[in-house]
Amino acid sequence: MTAAKITQVVVDEVKGYHNFVKFLIFLVGAAALASAIRFIFGLGVTTNLNDTFPWGLWISFDVVTAVPLAAGAFTLGAIVHCFHIKKLEPLVRPAIVTGFLGYSLVCVGLLLDLGQPQRGWHTMVYWNPHSPMFEVSMCIMAYTTVLFLEFLSPVCEKFGYHVPLRLLRTIEMPLVVLAASISTLHQSSLGTFFLIAVDKLHPLWYNPLLPLLFWVSAMCAGMSIITVEATMSHKYMGQPDEGELLETLAKILPCVLSFYLALRLFSLFALSEGALWDRPGLTALFVLEIVALVVPVLMLAQKKVRENGRQRATAAWLVIFGVVVNRFNVSMFGMEAPGTSYYPSFLESVVTIGIIAAHILFFVLIAKYFPIFEHHPETVDYSLPDHFHKTDNNHGHVGNEA
Amino acid sequence: MSSENKDFGKNKAFLIDMTKCTGCRGCQVACKQWNQLDAEKTKFFTGEGYQNPPLMSEYTFTRIKFRDYEKNGQNEFAFYKEMCMHCNEPACASVCPVGAFVKTKEGPVTYDAKRCIGCRFCMVACPFGVPKYEWSKAFPLVRKCTGCYSRVKEGKKPACATTCVSAITYGPREEMIKEAEKRIAARPEKYLKKLYGAEEAGGTSVIYLTALPFDELGFKHVTKRPLPSYTWQALRLVPGIFLTVGSSLSLLSWFTHRKERIAKEEEMRKSGSAPKEG
Amino acid sequence: MTNHWIDLKNADAILAIGCNPAENHPISMKWIEAAMDQGGKLIAVDPRYTRTASKADYYAQIRPGTDIAYLGGMINYAIQNNLIHEEYVREYTNASFIVNEKFDFEEGMFCAFDDQEKTYDAKAWAYAVDGAGNPKRDKSLKDPRCVYQQLKKHYSRYDVDKVCAITGTKKEDYLAVAKAFCSTGRPDKAGTILYAMGITQSTHGTQNVRAVAMLQLLLGNIGIAGGGVNALRGESNVQGSSDYGLLFHLLPGYLKSPEFDNVDLKAYLEKWTPKTKDPKAANWWGNTPKYTVSLLKAWYGENATPENGFCYDYLPKRSGNYSFMKLMEGMGAGKLEGLVCMGQNPAVGGPDSLKTRDALGKLKWLVTVDLWETETSIFWKRPGVNPKDIQTEVFMLPAASSVEKEGSISNSGRWAQWRYKAVEPCGNAKSDLWIINAFAKKMKDLYAKGGAFPEPITKLSWNYGHGEEPEVHMVAKEINGYFTKDMTIVDKDKTLEFKAGDQVPMFKYLQDDGSTVSGCWIYCGSYTKDGNLMARRDKTDAPNGLGMFPKWSWCWPVNRRIIYNRASVTPDGTPFNPKRAVIAWDGLEKKWKGDVPDGPWPPMNDAKEGKNPFIMVPEGFGRLYALDMKDGPFPEHYEPIESPATNLLSKVQNNPAVKVPKDIVPDAAKFPFIGTTYRMTEHWQAGAMTRSLPWLTELVPDMFVEISETLGRAKGIKNGDMVKVTSQRGSIECVALVTSRLKPFNVQGKQIEQVGLPWHFGYAGAATGDSGNVLTPSVGCANTSIPEFKAFLCNIEKGGKRA
Ligand SMILES: Nc1nc2c(c(=O)[nH]1)N[C@H]1C(S)=C(S)[C@@H](COP(=O)(O)OP(=O)(O)OC[C@H]3O[C@@H](n4cnc5c(=O)[nH]c(N)nc54)[C@H](O)[C@@H]3O)O[C@H]1N2
Ligand SMILES: Nc1nc2c(c(=O)[nH]1)N[C@H]1C(S)=C(S)[C@@H](COP(=O)(O)OP(=O)(O)OC[C@H]3O[C@@H](n4cnc5c(=O)[nH]c(N)nc54)[C@H](O)[C@@H]3O)O[C@H]1N2
Ligand code: SF4
Ligand code: SF4
Ligand code: SF4
Ligand code: SF4
Ligand code: SF4
Ligand SMILES: [Mo]
Repeated sequence: MTAAKITQVVVDEVKGYHNFVKFLIFLVGAAALASAIRFIFGLGVTTNLNDTFPWGLWISFDVVTAVPLAAGAFTLGAIVHCFHIKKLEPLVRPAIVTGFLGYSLVCVGLLLDLGQPQRGWHTMVYWNPHSPMFEVSMCIMAYTTVLFLEFLSPVCEKFGYHVPLRLLRTIEMPLVVLAASISTLHQSSLGTFFLIAVDKLHPLWYNPLLPLLFWVSAMCAGMSIITVEATMSHKYMGQPDEGELLETLAKILPCVLSFYLALRLFSLFALSEGALWDRPGLTALFVLEIVALVVPVLMLAQKKVRENGRQRATAAWLVIFGVVVNRFNVSMFGMEAPGTSYYPSFLESVVTIGIIAAHILFFVLIAKYFPIFEHHPETVDYSLPDHFHKTDNNHGHVGNEA
Repeated sequence: MSSENKDFGKNKAFLIDMTKCTGCRGCQVACKQWNQLDAEKTKFFTGEGYQNPPLMSEYTFTRIKFRDYEKNGQNEFAFYKEMCMHCNEPACASVCPVGAFVKTKEGPVTYDAKRCIGCRFCMVACPFGVPKYEWSKAFPLVRKCTGCYSRVKEGKKPACATTCVSAITYGPREEMIKEAEKRIAARPEKYLKKLYGAEEAGGTSVIYLTALPFDELGFKHVTKRPLPSYTWQALRLVPGIFLTVGSSLSLLSWFTHRKERIAKEEEMRKSGSAPKEG
Repeated sequence: MTNHWIDLKNADAILAIGCNPAENHPISMKWIEAAMDQGGKLIAVDPRYTRTASKADYYAQIRPGTDIAYLGGMINYAIQNNLIHEEYVREYTNASFIVNEKFDFEEGMFCAFDDQEKTYDAKAWAYAVDGAGNPKRDKSLKDPRCVYQQLKKHYSRYDVDKVCAITGTKKEDYLAVAKAFCSTGRPDKAGTILYAMGITQSTHGTQNVRAVAMLQLLLGNIGIAGGGVNALRGESNVQGSSDYGLLFHLLPGYLKSPEFDNVDLKAYLEKWTPKTKDPKAANWWGNTPKYTVSLLKAWYGENATPENGFCYDYLPKRSGNYSFMKLMEGMGAGKLEGLVCMGQNPAVGGPDSLKTRDALGKLKWLVTVDLWETETSIFWKRPGVNPKDIQTEVFMLPAASSVEKEGSISNSGRWAQWRYKAVEPCGNAKSDLWIINAFAKKMKDLYAKGGAFPEPITKLSWNYGHGEEPEVHMVAKEINGYFTKDMTIVDKDKTLEFKAGDQVPMFKYLQDDGSTVSGCWIYCGSYTKDGNLMARRDKTDAPNGLGMFPKWSWCWPVNRRIIYNRASVTPDGTPFNPKRAVIAWDGLEKKWKGDVPDGPWPPMNDAKEGKNPFIMVPEGFGRLYALDMKDGPFPEHYEPIESPATNLLSKVQNNPAVKVPKDIVPDAAKFPFIGTTYRMTEHWQAGAMTRSLPWLTELVPDMFVEISETLGRAKGIKNGDMVKVTSQRGSIECVALVTSRLKPFNVQGKQIEQVGLPWHFGYAGAATGDSGNVLTPSVGCANTSIPEFKAFLCNIEKGGKRA
């Protein structure tokens, strides 16, 4: 095929997309342009960052928040494979895709945010084990690789690459374990970042348990994301209904959440130092964050909520919201010294919106072209097969109408 | 990064006696000259008194902060030199993922621009707000007071200390602290009985003496514990957690999968055939 | 300075009045702070709370132009409270001298005033003399006609309440300052007074300085370590410039410039060589003929012979006042054809600068020799004028800066320090010496071809080498001086042999017969057979440990670090304060130890050879009562020419000896505020040298005006607002700095506001702004003509074009 022909095919394909998808493409395009501006004129022109606010939206959302939102993969992986709650397995692939996309985009966000993105590899050469950032970047690199390998499964399935698939199968378990361990480290280390901000982060958020809190809340966020994702792709993309599975998840979620809240309150009242309620704005944000996490516990404690797809999803949304607010509070609002304020610039926001759009876009596209939902592994043999079983021909063609 | 077994007494340190600082800003200019920093485009005065530029920045490694106010009907016109504190155990160095910051044995905390990836964690971490960024560049780096390491290595004093009339004394940290205590003892009615930097952030290589309360002058309140210890208390657990989580999950899955495996092996042995297609 | 910078560390009290050392002489603070570390007290007396004030133990606010009232009050305080150094006053000052019967002071006026000419006849103030022609004295100081009693009477009018009502100083501040400083009137205490432009730039500036000196004499603070009358001088080499005759009324070495009636050398020497009959009076100026002839020999060399009066006739004779302001006045009147501005920027630095800028346009030609393009060199294209309307031809000669050339520089402490060339001049810049040398040679060539009275030029001896750059060492050697013929000189028990061409080792060997050459007698001894002593950099201190560093550079006269040091000992030669002994008489060895004494003679009490300590005045005593001032023997308070207050001490409002130009008509109703101008650390003078340096303009980028919070409130002016400041002469726009450091003065029950302006800005260079001198009046001191930059009337309003 000539280049022109390929372009033609792509254009034709895109023309067929739903308007929402086109809109997403537009947002991603806008973000790409904004990124170009960043690399020509610098961060000062593109963002509202300055020496007082060295970290802003990109770090707060694209990294500190995106990472826990992508936590579904390891959480679920562990639940399914290690605790061997096999019925949740159909959710694993979407979660891995979400995770892989999430982490890839974290990397994109980071590359934009770094002053010297071309030196990203320096972290692998110049080790500083005392730096949480070193630890996180090593983890993120490792974890993205793991997710990539995991993500390769549907790809190989799609194209029928048997040998690599077999290989991937072989290392699946170690990968899951590795993923969970690495995630534990960097999800919590994101919290460790802010342990250095002793006199900067407000005591409503600063306490020595920050890493643990980050880890636990990341798991909650991960589970909630899976819930929301599955619900939405069922509703909007005609994917199979995983309601039953989500109910199980909805049983686990409030337990973890309650554990988190207990820990949160303990650390707040027993471990924090300094005046807690001295800044009304921050108090409000704090209340928002806590309420957004307490309400879903109360909701999911009820069977009828758990069984109702919409209500279940609402509760999950709340959890996501609560965790997002928490991450923003820690990395942004709580770090603002009294009397100073930061808000993202237009271009900065365009980039972040573009990254979110890219996430959704790629998810939709992947779901469209790759077998991620139909994978019901209870029908698949996990032992080492002599030959690989042929994948369903239908794969890759579902959701055409999306 | 623990503070035990570390002797910072021999490190070179600045003793800045604000009662002697005249706000002449010779240090500010000397610093720009030595480091060949561009001037900033300023307007009128961006702060109290004749204060300019508004803040330390990529172009301004040190700055005299002016305080111009009245207290009990008495004028106060105070000046203090802001610069990198060259912490004994620098937060910037501990958080830098690529180890671009190094506490040298001579005292200055240096920055290796060739390593830096520009993540700005150092800026977030520094309790004194010292590292600044090249916001106007497409591929920016961090900038801060170098402690004039290149001079200090040669046995010279930093440019600012050399130019200063008499407010800056430069020498081994323990001697600077002794000198400061001597001055306080000699004129107790004049000096505040506190040395800023003696304990802040676990001790720094810049130590201030003053006659006016530090918070009144705008000095930041900073913890006495070395900052790296705050993160290290969590980070040091990393290998342990990794191994614990990894091994317990492995074990767990080994167990949880065992039954299934046994069943499957059984079946395989029985049928000797390939799995069914699904 | 009678003393020197390092010596400041020996002071127990430092009174900085009318100067702002922290800002304008930053390095001085090193020594001031060293004194403070030893318990010394720093006192700042200034209209504004300055960076110096912020370091001071005591601060007192003073209304601009009222220093005589302030210091007169301190004199009164010292006398009333018995704090004066009695022995010093009795033995070393003219306190005991009897004033002639006719002398009188009444209602603000001294006797013998000519109302027409606005001049006093100073002869009327002479001492009463005895039969032998020597001044009469009463060492008991009781005689009502003695200087001490006259002084006491004069200043008894300066009581604290009156003084504070004039100066606007808070009474408790005033008393605290008086107490702290007058406590140095004891032999074991030293107090120094630092002053600069806040004291001198006044229509009674010289009397301000005299008041400083008198207070110091009364407290016994002159000649001692940590004491002195210390002018913090201005331009880096202004001390050297003055030493070498920069001022119109002086020749090098403070010899007087000839006046129109000094028709020949004899008449000149007759007029300017003081005489005394007192054998104990060293009367150093008695050597005037030696120094004058040696100077003429330096200028006219071989051509100067005893027969032709050493070419004295070639010198221009002065018949009036050629001070800066007079020159500008003449220039404005079209009386000058051309002007050479060598390192000067009158379009910004002089008073009433709008007038000066106009006057420059009346010139046919203007030459500026400067490092930069200055407001003066581009006056023809300044904002608001059309270059086409200006016919002046302007030449700009680029000058090499101080680091691009070799030579000496004299600091305030009289230390001449040799500097080396650090870098080559940039571009076509040439050293000033090169430029002057080229000028001189060209003029000689041109006059050789004829002209009106060419001899003063053609006969000049001008030989500073044949290279491209004149030999600066030859200049320095000529300034020191050399013998023109072989000589044998007998000095006490020594016989000294000199060959023609030998450097003269010190000025006491200079001759009045043409056998010596010396370009500036006070520098004789700076460049001898031992080489260039100004280049010495030996960091060892003298044994007395007072920081005199006698082998660091060279200081005039004869490397004496503290002048009048004969007054630091009792008449027997024992130091008043043995802990800080400047000199001490060793009776056994029959010689002085320590600093170079003010003359080699034994102490005053030595019946045969003893001499009085103040050797530069004919009688040899520190003058509490002056005989040669234009405006009175005692400083008397008068208001500045433009003042919102009336004189509380007498009906005479202004210094009667000042001729006020007709165009100055003070109007306190229209211009109710006191304007004052000053410097700041970050800029230099007219600004040419700093306003184009980004590192400095970053610090102070804009012209601004400092006002009090009360004035800000009254005028609705907030910090950072644009304002317009107006005086009778013009108006400027600048940014307002509203600060509690400036406060209104409480004068006679009225609140009088001050408006403080730095004068560093102008329209040339990178950072531009309006010039403070647009506002200042062109009127100056009765004695020196220094303009009254520090006190004038103005108004301030919010707003301005630039806003
Ligand atoms: N950075 C810097 N240093 C300089 C210069 C410069 O331009 N910049 N210029 C140099 C030169 S040439 C000189 S002459 C010196 C001058 O040095 P200073 O005399 O110290 O300079 P000024 O700031 O003009 O005046 C000193 C102080 O006098 C105060 N003052 C005004 N009026 C009165 C008064 O009537 N009585 C009293 N007691 N005080 C009054 C002013 O508020 C000011 O603070 O500085 C030299 N040093
Ligand atoms: N309102 C107000 N006006 C004042 C004063 C005040 O207090 N208030 N102070 C007065 C005082 S004390 C003074 S001294 C005068 C000063 O007034 P000016 O002497 O007119 O001012 P400067 O800016 O010092 O000018 C010196 C010039 O010499 C140049 N220069 C520097 N080095 C060299 C060199 O080596 N060779 C040559 N040829 N040129 C050189 C500089 O670039 C500068 O332009 O101003 C007076 N004006
Ligand atoms: S002051 Fe900040 S930048 Fe300087 S050494 Fe300490 S932590 Fe690092
Ligand atoms: S910005 Fe550079 S120096 Fe600072 S922490 Fe990041 S890599 Fe290290
Ligand atoms: S130590 Fe050097 S780099 Fe740091 S402020 Fe001083 S002059 Fe500037
Ligand atoms: S050089 Fe010294 S005296 Fe001047 S502003 Fe700096 S610290 Fe203060
Ligand atoms: S002469 Fe030079 S070193 Fe001395 S105070 Fe002035 S600027 Fe500073
Ligand atoms: Mo001056």
